[in-house]
Amino acid sequence: MVHKDTDPSRYHISDEELVRSADGELSPQRAAEVDAHLEACWECRARMEEIQTSIAGFVRAHHAEFDTQLPSSAGPRALLRARLAELNSESRIEWWGRVFQFGVPRVAFVCLALIAMAIGILWFEHAPQRRASFLFDAEAAPNRSLTPGVARQVTISEVCSVPQEEVIGDVPLPLREKVLQEYGIANARPDDYEIDYLIAPRLGGTEDIRNLWPEPYRTRVWNAHVKDALEERLHEMVCSGQLDLSTAQHDIATDWIAAYKKYFHTNKPLPLRS
Amino acid sequence: MGTDMPPSSYENASLAVPSRVQRSANASRIEGEVMELFDEFRNPLLRYGLSMGLPIHDAEEVIQEVFLALFRHLHLGRSRKNLRGWLFRVTHNLALKQRLANHTSLQRTAGDAKVAEEHADPSPGPEEQLSAAQRRNRLQAVVQAMPANDRHCLRLRAEGLRYREIATVLGMSLGAVSISLTRSLARLVRADGR
Repeated sequence: MVHKDTDPSRYHISDEELVRSADGELSPQRAAEVDAHLEACWECRARMEEIQTSIAGFVRAHHAEFDTQLPSSAGPRALLRARLAELNSESRIEWWGRVFQFGVPRVAFVCLALIAMAIGILWFEHAPQRRASFLFDAEAAPNRSLTPGVARQVTISEVCSVPQEEVIGDVPLPLREKVLQEYGIANARPDDYEIDYLIAPRLGGTEDIRNLWPEPYRTRVWNAHVKDALEERLHEMVCSGQLDLSTAQHDIATDWIAAYKKYFHTNKPLPLRS
Repeated sequence: MGTDMPPSSYENASLAVPSRVQRSANASRIEGEVMELFDEFRNPLLRYGLSMGLPIHDAEEVIQEVFLALFRHLHLGRSRKNLRGWLFRVTHNLALKQRLANHTSLQRTAGDAKVAEEHADPSPGPEEQLSAAQRRNRLQAVVQAMPANDRHCLRLRAEGLRYREIATVLGMSLGAVSISLTRSLARLVRADGR
């Protein structure tokens, strides 16, 4: 609706147009007409001020409601960077798919794939030790659908006042067996796996099956000893005030290997302290 | 597209794959761009995720997924037009999906109002502080009582989105956004006048 007449005694601006005017959503011509009307009409100007006051009040309430809940972006930022690096390597694999589609004869590619598979089978068949190690490496991270990580409500002082030996208890045998069963592992020897807490008890983690997973000792790189070092590091950082407890819990539960890289500033585990 | 080009050049285009160095430089450039957008929009998107009723950990995870999706989007050479609107749209859709998975209710708990009350603006005196907190609680209660679409429109506008962007995020017409915002502001004005 376009009003040519700006005489305030003849008409008033609708609320919708006042809101659109405040938001800069009117056409330049109509915006000029509304401005001219507002100069002349106290009633519309008063309504405009009410709208502006309510907008300001709402924006303050919106920020007050959520800003206090926003954690620092440092942890999520580092996690995103690590995930992007991972995606990058996947995209290189996709690029090979495109090469396949456009140029390389399929038959030759299938032959190569068969040869590679045969070599792989021979390699596995003749090196059981290597095969076990490879499988263990694949299990270095828990299955997130089985082990999302669970923490209890705990204060920093509770976390930092209890010594390590008082926090960690052995996982009861029935629970240990249940975790192994959930992961489909049969006939495991005691020295194969540690039934580990994803969020360590000293960081508030609980003895809940959703916080426990079979972590192999024999992985070549990311094994239980390395994760223990990360837990130690996070505990130190939380207790010295360098890190929020909630961020530590979140990072270790989301991807403990990425958390290790982030907090030790390295891409591979550091030599373990004796 | 391809039909506008002579057959020989089309053939060349399909076989011309970028060199390894080019691909790597391209991926690094996109990664840098995504991180810049993360720095700029992480908090507004997180606030919007929280306003949709997600717990903080879920909202953080949704935001991670949004930026990973953005990386794939840019990597595939898709549209760069209005990336801010794109980010809010994907956040909105993923947050709805997550909320469905969590079976969380749209209704906020009484605890949330308590949190807001505890974080009153510290600068004014006690009486002004109380009055400001009361006003804020009143406005928050009015917003919570609004229909979901009105609430989303208002929150998105508070995060700086233009009407056209809000319309795209929520799948509404431009006119419907304008009417929704007018209706919501009329309610806020009434609540303020009490």
